[in-house]
Amino acid sequence: MPGGGQCPDCGSTELVEDSHYSQSQLVCSDCGCVVTEGVLTTTFSDEGNLREVTYSRSTGENDQVSRSQQRGLRRVRDLCRVLQLPSTFEDTAVAYYQQAYRHSGIRAARLQKKEVLVGCCVLITCRQHNWPLTMGTVCALLYADLDVFSGTYMQIVKLLGLDVPSLCLADLVKTYCSSFRLFQASPSVPAKYVEDKEKMLSRTLQLVELADETWLVTGRHPLPVITAATFLAWQSLQPSHRLTCSLARFCKLANVDLPYPASSRLQELLSVLLRMAERLAWLQVLKLDKRSVVKHIGDLLQHRHTLVRKAFRDGTAEMEAGEKELRGRCQGPEQGKEEVASSSLDLPEGKRPASPTPLLPPCMLKPPKRICPPPPVSTVTGDENISDSEIEQYLRTPQEIKDFEKAQAARQAARSVSNPP
Amino acid sequence: MTPTVCSGLDRVEAEAQGRDLRGPCPAPSRPDPQLGPASPFAPAGLINGPCATRAQSGSAAAQLAWALPPSRLSALLTVGPPPMEEEQTYLELYLDQCAAQDDLAPPGSPLLSPIVPDDGYIPNTSNSETVFNSHLQEVKGASGHFSSVDLSFLPDELTQESKDQSVIRSKQDIEENCKTQSQQSRLSLPREQDMGLGLINDSTLSKSHSQAYPGDADSVQPSPEKPNSTPLMSITPMTPVTPVSECSGIVPQLQNIVSTVNLACKLDLKKIALHAKNAEYNPKRFAAVIMRIREPRTTALIFSSGKMVCTGAKSEEQSRLAARKYARVVQKLGFPARFLDFKIQNMVGSCDVRFPIRLEGLVLTHQQFSSYEPELFPGLIYRMVKPRIVLLIFVSGKVVLTGAKERSEIYEAFENIYPILKGFKKA
Repeated sequence: MPGGGQCPDCGSTELVEDSHYSQSQLVCSDCGCVVTEGVLTTTFSDEGNLREVTYSRSTGENDQVSRSQQRGLRRVRDLCRVLQLPSTFEDTAVAYYQQAYRHSGIRAARLQKKEVLVGCCVLITCRQHNWPLTMGTVCALLYADLDVFSGTYMQIVKLLGLDVPSLCLADLVKTYCSSFRLFQASPSVPAKYVEDKEKMLSRTLQLVELADETWLVTGRHPLPVITAATFLAWQSLQPSHRLTCSLARFCKLANVDLPYPASSRLQELLSVLLRMAERLAWLQVLKLDKRSVVKHIGDLLQHRHTLVRKAFRDGTAEMEAGEKELRGRCQGPEQGKEEVASSSLDLPEGKRPASPTPLLPPCMLKPPKRICPPPPVSTVTGDENISDSEIEQYLRTPQEIKDFEKAQAARQAARSVSNPP
Repeated sequence: MTPTVCSGLDRVEAEAQGRDLRGPCPAPSRPDPQLGPASPFAPAGLINGPCATRAQSGSAAAQLAWALPPSRLSALLTVGPPPMEEEQTYLELYLDQCAAQDDLAPPGSPLLSPIVPDDGYIPNTSNSETVFNSHLQEVKGASGHFSSVDLSFLPDELTQESKDQSVIRSKQDIEENCKTQSQQSRLSLPREQDMGLGLINDSTLSKSHSQAYPGDADSVQPSPEKPNSTPLMSITPMTPVTPVSECSGIVPQLQNIVSTVNLACKLDLKKIALHAKNAEYNPKRFAAVIMRIREPRTTALIFSSGKMVCTGAKSEEQSRLAARKYARVVQKLGFPARFLDFKIQNMVGSCDVRFPIRLEGLVLTHQQFSSYEPELFPGLIYRMVKPRIVLLIFVSGKVVLTGAKERSEIYEAFENIYPILKGFKKA
């Protein structure tokens, strides 16, 4: 630091207070000559007053790093420890945070954003190692808003140019299901509700795969689907005792938050299972409904591949029939064969309860809310004459202006009266 | 379809000459001046030598007949202008029979969009045509050896001009079938076809060919020599190759246009808010007057500096008309408003492909362009590089395109994405 003494060797005034491990030294920054140094050893009586210094503080590596960045890095490490992530994840997340901090936009961002950035770095690390961590969990741990989180997340992925793989559904199922407190009897969980973890996991996985195949997962938040699948799996393993339990009560028992869309996912999954049950020979006679189909989920899952193929015809075949009219014979012979094949499947069915429904996402199965007519072809050139009358309609007459001003003044007066200073 | 035709014909020619052919198709060493006008490879599999040299080609025709197996020859000797898909199947038949490994050069750069300025809409089918024609070019390249082929045995319809017309006619039929809903005129297409065919001669795929066949400038507009596709293009499927018959037939509808204009005078926003009925002004909330007009139904933000933003129009002309109306209102309020630097800043379009899309699959194959976070947003965000458009793709098949400065960019982006989406049609 300038303003002190001079180096006896080279005579420069650039002396720096630097510590060599636990020994404080005054060093010349030009020639490296140690001008003065503190005491290396301490007496016994002195040592009583000393505290130990962590390695990271003694090496001076944090002198270059700003305080807010240090705080952020500490938060990253804390978050990794709370989530019980492997130690390699910690280093990667810290590296991402440091990389992000090099950008001026991040350095100048608000503290709220820097806090959320911590979560983003940890999330990206987990995604890249296929560790199933949801954004909801991270936001809950950081007490952050999902909107702020999403904005920062998209920004940082673009800024750092990262390739972030999608959330791994199978791993998420395993982690999420394991968090359900149903595998041991407790005062809140009656014996009839306790379930074996492996059985429940495998059945839930099969149900989630079924949901994925029948377009219930694409475009939706994955967690409510898994909640609904877990509930159905649990119910179907002992339906006689568990049919009376509702989804909300189930989540309360299991000590898991019920996500709001889970009930509609449950209904969708049940309707898929019902359509599959219509194709199963020994279930056709039973006239199942959404409650009774739960008892037969085991059978349905066992034959799910064939049943899905039989219960749902390809939703696109219907669309293509319409497209064909538009295009003439553009497609060639393959389409014709496809139609023939699907219709030939129908023939040996004999009398079927209903024609196969198209396999489409639920948003396409609902009737359109309003039919948008194609806009009329407008012949506006942009250079037409604008009539004065048309413009006049948007202007106030002088009388109207006076009235408006009077009304405004009156309102101001009323406001100042009602709020006395 | 790989450009296997050249090698096949070379093999034929090699057989004819008793030569052994190895490795990639060699560039014909002797520049053949007889190979004059653009001779498109008739999609029916016929080789059209230049008309002028028919007389000398008897022997070569005999060679041709002898060298090719009978089935191939029958495919070649199809008569009449068949519709496009039949032409294609014959071509495929022929190509299948020519088993070859080499590739001279990647099929004509997808950047080879012909110069069609009038409509401002360059359909991507032009790319497919140029690719298609590039296959023809391979054949034509090798067919230089058959310059002396006597094709007098072929019926008259299969002369070059009528072939052009028949191809154009069939293309027009296809276009009509495809674009029943299209508002754009497709008359540009035959011109593109000609240009595409002409381009075969001018900008050839391999440099050696370009030396051998200087091409013919009179029948073709000079076109820039397009280099082979950039490395980026060859790696990533940005402008996929589609045969003409698979045009989408769907036209995105414009939903919103955002434009700006400079009124070039300082404005008193309080006075505007007082004198205009359709204006709202809340300086604590936003530092501009929000004005609305009924026809065209739009909203404008008018700032005190004189700059104005006009949103909500459904076409470029409507946006301009609306901006002029706002300027006229400001004029009538007593300000010396002008109408400078009108510019369209953003255009938003939307359409429906009418089949469900597996977004998870799309994000896997097009990871460098797509961003799909179902926890945040139900749609997939696809950032196309050329043209620079952002597309929101939903599972129901609805597509929103935004970020365009020109209408053609929206159409081009949709034509680019449609084949990619069709690939994910059947789960």
